[in-house]
Amino acid sequence: MANLVWDWAEGAQVGSTSPGVASPKHKKDAEPETEATPLMKMLQNAGPVRTDGSDKFFGMENFGNTCYCNSVVQALYYSVPFRENVIRYPPHSPFDTPNGHPPIVTPIRAPVQNGAAVPPAGKPKGISAAEAMKRRAAINSGQPLPPGQIQRPEDKPDSPEYKKKHAMLAGPILELTYENASSYAMEESTFTALKDIFMALIANPSRIGVLSPQRFLEIFKRDNEMFRTSMHQDAHEFYGLVLNAVISNVEANARRLKELELPHDDTALAKAAMASAANAMGSNSGTGWVHEIFEGVLTSETKCLTCETASQRDETFLDLSIDLEEHSSVTSCLRKFSAEEMLCERNKFHCDNCGGLQEAEKRMKIKRLPKILALHLKRFKYTEDMTRLQKLFHRVVYPYHLRMFNTTDDAEDPDRLYELYAVVVHIGGNAYHGHYVSVIKTQDRGWLLFDDEMVEPVDKNYVRNFFGDKPGMACAYVLFYQETTEEAMRKEQEAEGLAEVTLASQEADASLVDSHPNGIIRQATNPNTPVDDKEYLSLDHAMSAPLPTIPHANPRPMVPSPPLSAQFPAPEAAKPKSKEEKEREKKELKEAEKARKAAEKEKAKADEQRRKDLINSRKEIQKTQADEVKRALAASKQSAAEDEEKRKREAAAAAGNGHEPPKENGHSDRGFGLHALSRSQKRSKSLSRKSLGFLGGKNGESKGTSSGDDSHLAVEGEPGPPTPEKHSKFNKDRFSFSGLGRKKSNLMSP
Amino acid sequence: MFVLPPPPRYPSQAAYSLAVANGQVTPMIETNNNLSHPTGPEYQLVVGEGTYILKDDLHLSTPPPHPSEAPIINPNPLGTTPQPATSGTKLSLLSLSSRGAPPLPLYTDEVNRSGTTGFRTSIQEHPSEGRPSGDLVPPSSDGGSISMTGSGRGPVSIGSAPAFGKGNQLLSPSGKDAGKRRKPKNNIAKSNSSFISRCIVHENLSKRLQDRPSDGYFAFANINRAFQWLDLSSPQKVDHFTKILFTKGHCLCHDVNQVTKSHSHIDLIMGFSTGEIIWFEPISQKYTRLNKNGIINTTPVSEIRWIPGSENLFLAAHMDGSLVVYDKEKDDAAYLPEEHSQNANDASERSSGHANHSAKLHIGKSVDSKNQKFNPVSFWKLSNQRINAFAFSPDNRHIAVVSEDGTLRIIDYLKERLLDIYSSYYGGFICVCWSPDGKYVLTGGQDDLVSIWSVAESTIVARCQGHQSWVTAVCFDPWRCDDRNYRFGSVGEDCRLLLWDFNVGMLHRPKASSVRQRGSILSRIANNPLQRAETQTTTGSRVRPNSVVSVDRDEESTIEHPVEPRATTAMLPPVMSKVIDPDPLYWLAFTQESIITSCKTGHIRTWDRPQDGADKSDAI
Repeated sequence: MANLVWDWAEGAQVGSTSPGVASPKHKKDAEPETEATPLMKMLQNAGPVRTDGSDKFFGMENFGNTCYCNSVVQALYYSVPFRENVIRYPPHSPFDTPNGHPPIVTPIRAPVQNGAAVPPAGKPKGISAAEAMKRRAAINSGQPLPPGQIQRPEDKPDSPEYKKKHAMLAGPILELTYENASSYAMEESTFTALKDIFMALIANPSRIGVLSPQRFLEIFKRDNEMFRTSMHQDAHEFYGLVLNAVISNVEANARRLKELELPHDDTALAKAAMASAANAMGSNSGTGWVHEIFEGVLTSETKCLTCETASQRDETFLDLSIDLEEHSSVTSCLRKFSAEEMLCERNKFHCDNCGGLQEAEKRMKIKRLPKILALHLKRFKYTEDMTRLQKLFHRVVYPYHLRMFNTTDDAEDPDRLYELYAVVVHIGGNAYHGHYVSVIKTQDRGWLLFDDEMVEPVDKNYVRNFFGDKPGMACAYVLFYQETTEEAMRKEQEAEGLAEVTLASQEADASLVDSHPNGIIRQATNPNTPVDDKEYLSLDHAMSAPLPTIPHANPRPMVPSPPLSAQFPAPEAAKPKSKEEKEREKKELKEAEKARKAAEKEKAKADEQRRKDLINSRKEIQKTQADEVKRALAASKQSAAEDEEKRKREAAAAAGNGHEPPKENGHSDRGFGLHALSRSQKRSKSLSRKSLGFLGGKNGESKGTSSGDDSHLAVEGEPGPPTPEKHSKFNKDRFSFSGLGRKKSNLMSP
Repeated sequence: MFVLPPPPRYPSQAAYSLAVANGQVTPMIETNNNLSHPTGPEYQLVVGEGTYILKDDLHLSTPPPHPSEAPIINPNPLGTTPQPATSGTKLSLLSLSSRGAPPLPLYTDEVNRSGTTGFRTSIQEHPSEGRPSGDLVPPSSDGGSISMTGSGRGPVSIGSAPAFGKGNQLLSPSGKDAGKRRKPKNNIAKSNSSFISRCIVHENLSKRLQDRPSDGYFAFANINRAFQWLDLSSPQKVDHFTKILFTKGHCLCHDVNQVTKSHSHIDLIMGFSTGEIIWFEPISQKYTRLNKNGIINTTPVSEIRWIPGSENLFLAAHMDGSLVVYDKEKDDAAYLPEEHSQNANDASERSSGHANHSAKLHIGKSVDSKNQKFNPVSFWKLSNQRINAFAFSPDNRHIAVVSEDGTLRIIDYLKERLLDIYSSYYGGFICVCWSPDGKYVLTGGQDDLVSIWSVAESTIVARCQGHQSWVTAVCFDPWRCDDRNYRFGSVGEDCRLLLWDFNVGMLHRPKASSVRQRGSILSRIANNPLQRAETQTTTGSRVRPNSVVSVDRDEESTIEHPVEPRATTAMLPPVMSKVIDPDPLYWLAFTQESIITSCKTGHIRTWDRPQDGADKSDAI
């Protein structure tokens, strides 16, 4: 709940976190290490980092109401087929680097050290880390805090804000402000930006951290005007737009490459492009995957009640938007989706046979099942007077596995088994406010909660907290099911049970972990990555070390730890020393021996010292923990009340801002229908958007381009970054004319 | 992440007043049960045989949170702290007389039935007529210890089943005090256990016990952290006999021993979200804690039942996938698996496409173990997935176990052998029950379906489509079952009660049985003739319950059955479907006079059966 406040509050500060600002100001002893987060604990004994990106657990920075993007991008990333294909496409890069692509060096933002890193204007994001630390220390030492100080949600150690903040502090923060499209021989687009994100995640040697998807959002907002505000947006709509963009980008690229193959005179630039494209065309252009993964086919069977003629029409879809009922299941909602529907009165059917508008019976069934089935639960519905969208808090249960009952008779593999792998959750009271998070099943790390910057392992039952009936207004909004087999399911279930047991015992240990001897040993044997300023600058180097040394570089707020600088020189020094040794070896063996022994002694001393300190600090923690719990209990009560008040204030303020007319008209449907060619609402929506784009005036050039020649447009696009308007135009055309992702309600237009 | 200190004992005046002073907890207000008699068409169930009418709605009060329970300090809906398991209200019914016992299934006309081709759809109005009276056997409301001859399972179930653990001398009751009922040790009202918050006993308990009709039903019901003993036959049933409030554990399941019940003694067991088990004797208000502090198993108990015919032994399903037999009178000892690997079904991997450990039944401790001084008596590990429910077969040889992983396992618990594994269409199974004659097993689950399985023929018989959400309880109506027709009911998260009729003959004609299911008709038409022929052959074999299938069961193998595709499985529509409660339903039972349902928030609704004679003309 409390995070909602921040989500809204941050609305004012969109994207103002610029990389340059964060020049970390080092405080001499304010570099404590954090207690290991649950995620770190989980990853403690992980092997070497895999190259396929399946074990990267990065949070994503929120630039103010961009949680819709974060939740969906995370869900997309953890879809194995999608990720793999995004990485593989285009099949060959123009540069023949061994791994297909030039190595990407993602700039890493130095961790936010204090409030100054966050925009100074208006509300600072919170108290500075140092201050927080002081307070923690104060709490630890049992001093009463000045009243009214613990107010901000991120000051509470268990709050999401706190965790997010510390995720940012811990880093590394991947700064995706660049674009890398040229290395894929593609124009910069939503697809390339998404690919940039995926590549950066995989290329980074760390398993955890925070990713800052700035460029991706910039491009997306460039192409999608509606999302340019800092308002709360619809995650499902975003998902649809991204997928459509990916599809059109990839296809446009393939088309462009094809055209390039044809001989024609060109400028030098185009030639260069062609050269690189020729490479890319080496094998098949392979665009089929984008359709294969998400696209299914719906058949609408319509029977005219006058002449009894049945007609069929196939439509592709990228997801299914299903209506909800109180106390129902997704299965049942899907069945309703395919239930017969009468077309009568104002909604009559134009029968070709009778030649007129007739009453008819219509039903929709699925003819081809997609690999990944996205189910959009229509939680937002217009109120009676059609003025506002309200949120439905119906309890709708969803199983971990699913088969579709509503397939056509000739459907291939009608009993296909799906497993739930991601849930995008909307938290909040209505469509205009709130927060999105996603709960995602990773390949071999179980379920994780992705809440912007924060990533946290959760147990499997956690997924069931979002049926809609629990307090807190958190409801599942988009469900992602992926195809699986019974064998895989059984295998996983076995492993799962075991994992659950270990997780449970971990939970039990969590309370003890501070006093756990193992904890100390672990700490002692695995030298922590330095948390020094300087060390951060050389983080690249530090992190490329083999895995056990994943940066645990997290400032611990609880206790000031021993000066870490002491611990690091030892291993650092070891390297040059060994070199020297070789040289000396030729001269005097003995001396070398001595020197090494001395070094070892020193190191051992340092280690010993550190260990002692650690033990001491742990003892201290233990001692203070009890007090702290008491304090926290008392404090939280108070701050809960304050939160509540704050939220109310916030809400009131937001309402006061005039939340303008509900976002255009098609909102109740909020489907991909917004680009379907069809009845009134949708069309008018896309039209209105288009015309807005024209009025925007920034784009005189693209106005003239007719919609018919988008391929031409794509080809003639300058090698440099295309003008945004052209691009968006292109996308819009795609939306209006492709038959992709039609909505149930839109299907019946004659 | 901090773990809260263990809750102080209650009533601990200091902690309590402190909490009140801090304004953290509302002062304890003892809430009362509520009885109402809503009427109107929405409180009637119209079925072929007549109209069931809501008699009354008993709303159990949800107890306020315990003072020592941590107040909800974090309203964050994303809080990742695991929530303790809880369950909606479930009941254990007990009738001290035999009148309330369901009619016995008739097993005599096996031969006739095997050749059945006619489809008489008659349901006898009084199926118990012309049958041996229920008084001839030990009375039992869940089909207790019934000896039967010539049941459908052929050689396996001829004669009475031996008692569980009979082969082990160590388990046979010692002779000296046989016949005398032993009581638990501790007085619950005077307990200062940290587990029990308090116990409220009705002031006129003994008088009320004397005055009540002997054939009325007692009910034991859990709600939240409270547990109530009610008298459903009493005009003042709104007043509980006894109410126990626990501190941290929620009672998730409970069962009454049908063997030891008498006017002066009732053996009740309860399973808790903390994994602990309480043996409770309500008349003397005594109790004993078992698996104390999870010494044997720490995971919540999702289902608990007395082993039919046993005075002392009961079976508890823990959520980590283990089935544990306890003796109510034995002390606990830390459980260490004994080596019994040879007992595992080694051959199980033969027939399964996916050979894995889940196909096995791991016997952690066998009933034949020589260490029978302490609990557990035996310990079986089925899988790592949570067990949601199990049920004993009427012939007392088998248990049907359903789990969260969507499997139904049929276990011969006398021989400690896993016989069959069936899979749900998808999603986990939630509930299971046996038909009164032991031929069929019903399951309900997260695929919104009730599935009918034939045990003898090791196959799915039909899927019953009609619920709009997960199915949480299934139950046969033994008063409306005969040798050919079966009536059962199911309730679900969709707040609906559905009633179903299936007929041995009708069932196997998918077309006929699925008349109302448009979808299944279409899919059936689409079947290629080959598939249809196949269905018919299996159909043919299904009609003969005495088929040889059960014979080749001798080999020690587990048969893992793949999921039947939708296109080849019969679909059965309900005969009645109605929303009967504003909240999801969790439990269902049939008595001679009524249908009783209960829901998540503690509404116990009693639906009277159609009055005799009034609707007789509609009956058939």
